[in-house]
Amino acid sequence: MAGTETLPASGRSGQGSGGPVAQTAGQVPGEPALRWSSRVHSIAEIEEELARIWTVPNLVLVRDGVEERSVAARTSVMNLVVVARRPELGEHAAATIQQLTGRHPSRTLILSSADVESRSWLDAQIRAYCVLPRPDAAETCAEQIYITAGGAAGRHLDAIVAPLLVHDLPVMLWWPGEPPFETEAAHDLLKMADRLVVDGSSWTGDGLGRLRQLAEAMDRGRVTVGDFALMRQSRWREAIASVFDLPDFLPYLRSIRRIAVTYGTHDLTGAPGSTNVIKPVYHVAWLASRLDMAVHKPLTAAAMPRPARPTQAGMKPPLHRGLATTLHGPRSEVSVVVRPVGSRMPAGTTLRVELLAERRGSELRADVTAEAETVHVRVWLDGVAALERSFLSARRTEVDLLAEAIEGSSDPIAGDVIRVAARLAG
Amino acid sequence: MRHAAMTTTKEPRAPSPGTSPAPPDASPAPPDASPAPPDASPAPPGAVPGTAPASAPAKPARDAPRTIRQLRLARLGKKRPPQRALENPLREGLRLERMPDPFAFILFGATGDLAHRKVVPALYQLWRTNLLPHEFMLVATGRRPYDDDTFRADLRASLDKYSRVLPIDEAVWAEFAKRIVYQQGDFNDPVMYARLSLRLDEIDTEHGTRGNRLYYLATHASAFSEIVAELGRAGLDHEMHGGGWRRVVIEKPFGRDLESAARLNREVGKVFREKQVYRIDHYLGKETVRNLLVFRFGNGIFEPIWNRRYVDHVQITVAESIGIEGRGSFYEETGASRDFLQNHLMQLLSLVAMEPPASFEADPLRDEKVKVVRAIAPKTPEEIRRDVVRGQYGPGWVAAEEVPGYRQEPEVDPESETETFIAVRFEIDDWRWAGVPFYLRMGKRLPKRASEIAIQFRAVPHRLFKDSSTDPEPNLLAMRIQPDEGILLRFGAKVPGLGLDVRAVNMDFTYGSAFSVDSPDAYETLILDALLGDASLFTRADEVEQAWGVVTPIIESWLDEPSPDFPNYEAGSWGPAEADELLAREGRRWRRI
Repeated sequence: MAGTETLPASGRSGQGSGGPVAQTAGQVPGEPALRWSSRVHSIAEIEEELARIWTVPNLVLVRDGVEERSVAARTSVMNLVVVARRPELGEHAAATIQQLTGRHPSRTLILSSADVESRSWLDAQIRAYCVLPRPDAAETCAEQIYITAGGAAGRHLDAIVAPLLVHDLPVMLWWPGEPPFETEAAHDLLKMADRLVVDGSSWTGDGLGRLRQLAEAMDRGRVTVGDFALMRQSRWREAIASVFDLPDFLPYLRSIRRIAVTYGTHDLTGAPGSTNVIKPVYHVAWLASRLDMAVHKPLTAAAMPRPARPTQAGMKPPLHRGLATTLHGPRSEVSVVVRPVGSRMPAGTTLRVELLAERRGSELRADVTAEAETVHVRVWLDGVAALERSFLSARRTEVDLLAEAIEGSSDPIAGDVIRVAARLAG
Repeated sequence: MRHAAMTTTKEPRAPSPGTSPAPPDASPAPPDASPAPPDASPAPPGAVPGTAPASAPAKPARDAPRTIRQLRLARLGKKRPPQRALENPLREGLRLERMPDPFAFILFGATGDLAHRKVVPALYQLWRTNLLPHEFMLVATGRRPYDDDTFRADLRASLDKYSRVLPIDEAVWAEFAKRIVYQQGDFNDPVMYARLSLRLDEIDTEHGTRGNRLYYLATHASAFSEIVAELGRAGLDHEMHGGGWRRVVIEKPFGRDLESAARLNREVGKVFREKQVYRIDHYLGKETVRNLLVFRFGNGIFEPIWNRRYVDHVQITVAESIGIEGRGSFYEETGASRDFLQNHLMQLLSLVAMEPPASFEADPLRDEKVKVVRAIAPKTPEEIRRDVVRGQYGPGWVAAEEVPGYRQEPEVDPESETETFIAVRFEIDDWRWAGVPFYLRMGKRLPKRASEIAIQFRAVPHRLFKDSSTDPEPNLLAMRIQPDEGILLRFGAKVPGLGLDVRAVNMDFTYGSAFSVDSPDAYETLILDALLGDASLFTRADEVEQAWGVVTPIIESWLDEPSPDFPNYEAGSWGPAEADELLAREGRRWRRI
């Protein structure tokens, strides 16, 4: 296998080794099977390998009909680019994506960089996974390229991605961890992407700084954004929306006076900045963007400390009252509180969304909570319980979320919500 | 050859009828000399609207503002008519932009097979995925003396067998089961309907279903007209003023010939308006059948060649490997032509051949579909002898299993003349398709389960590659409906090498490889559509009658003909030899599936 090397090989591992992996008997439908694995050290070699995968007869499936040839098909839907700045993120991403074989990505590039200070080197593992969607269906395959780039090459990931994309297919960029949106390297990568997938709830600190950068990057790069943190909230959104499907309650929607979102924290002081508040802020942003509430002032730390009162056994109460602001609704001002409460749930999880609406002297209070697989909705009209219902919906796994995030149908309101959330963040 | 890439496009969401209300002020001019614009306050007749210019003195009503200028001025300063019922802005971007209204689902024939296998599992699945409002009740009616609990237990047992997602979640089921009640009674007993009416009123007050009712007729077809008539007699069909819809879903078979279908339509029409009637053809709910519309009208490159200039002929195949599954007495009365040709095959034919509708809404869509069937001339007995092949399977082997012949099946007459296979050649006499034959075939106990539509294009006008060892095959576009949903395009490619050999290769798009495989069952799609009031995927009265108009002469001609020498095909073969002859005599052959 010859090839002009654009980058010097590191010599860290086997030289351009590998090839087809023999098909094991009795492939289980729905289970991805590794059908190709090889390792190379330059972009040119990767390109060659990719071409070779589809010419080797071992990957061609001839169906029982003799004349009719049915070739194992590469899924032709999208390119998925994953930037995993740490190897363990890369491993995790690869495991997640492998479960999507036969569902979505045609070609996946997982990029991670290492020893930024050394001379440039490139190490690529090329794999093809094939899956039988059903016993009677043709096999469909997806390519996965796991690239580790060292030295200067690792700082110019866009130069590695560009030549390896399948032509004319949309590019999904999944950036787990902490994407440095402000850097030049990130700009360059975002320029190539049609869609950016992140998980806002995994960012360090309160996450609000990165949220602002995300909104900027989104508008500058004209990418659509899928944020797992926002997507996870769809069950909350459906539950809250369902209250206002009822004609008796619908008019109150335009007269909301107060939105309070409670989130769990592990930090005993509950000090702003200590816990990621992306999820609770998205709740507020969603309501604000749907109900035409303008953000004039960002969320700021609420002034008064909370009086000490034990909340849960063995947990001291948080001292801070969280973040607050006032929104300008179409009819009135809306006061907003995002407040922490000690909880054993993962930090930053939304525990409760409360809405208070006043209309013609009567008051509607809606209280939405979630635990495990249930979202619970209660509504009081002038202090009298008016509605109580539960929605069962399983929390979705990362595989489900990724599948949804990269599927063509992007959430049409996600952009709005992220923009409003960024304004709330300051 | 390297597999060519085909990008996929997301199916555009059909606009649900409620989301695009006509602007309330779209018709400012009253149709005739009505005294005031529609939004005028109840002023005494002839009163000048407050802001009318002084030059318009008080005059009798017929001199009320009529010109654009007068109307515009009369309208000035007036409050705009109130918007239509507010929609819930929080729903934007959620899976359903509109939730079905609260409703009572009255299931007739609730103890039957269809209800247990399809209807209730679909409702359960919709409920499980939070696509139904909390205010709904399933009122199951049947003859058997069940009470609520025994019926629920019975349903639960069926769900454990037929639900698309297993196991059944106990908590979800508990909530679902709470909403099921059983109403025992005879379909022809007026007392039952009186009781039902009372019960439904109770349910409206207790469970907030607000008078919206969906009657689902999953009974034997012979009971349809009786139930509809009784619903009418009990006043259960009246839509309430200010909300409260009444809809009726009617299962197949809709009639057994033109006359009975027309009669049933008449009887249904006496009680329900056509807008309230949803005739189910579950084929239309299938994901790939709906994709047919997207494929044809969401892509620009196929429409220009979708006509007689480029298409040689079209084949529509629905092959089943199963037999009649113990439904011998049903099948004896039905046969392949009633069971499949009149409904599913004709629907597929209409979708393939129709003109583009003006909009993706129920009536424009169905207008175009019915035009296609109208353009098929009913066949004369002579044409039927020439263009129709019927068959009945004998014993044989299917999928490595020995199976009995049709006449050996239980409940079947040992000298039965019922057809289990039918192949027909139709022509659509319109501008687009004149002269292009459409071959349709359907059979039981064929070698495999497969449904597909194949568009066979014309051969190239001039053969350039005469030296090729194989003739270049004409292009083919195949749309597979089941089981391996997808679209295949066949074209010629050069065989690598020194010579110039052309070989046909397939470019194959499989649904499973492009989208998550979990697509809803047809019944889920259709029931949700009916609850949302979208009739696009349901058949209209005239469609049903037109289709019977084509199929009835065929069935009737057989009454005057000695039946062929049944059984005339072996189970596990592709039908009688005459079916191949049907194409062969025109120099064509069935596509190998």
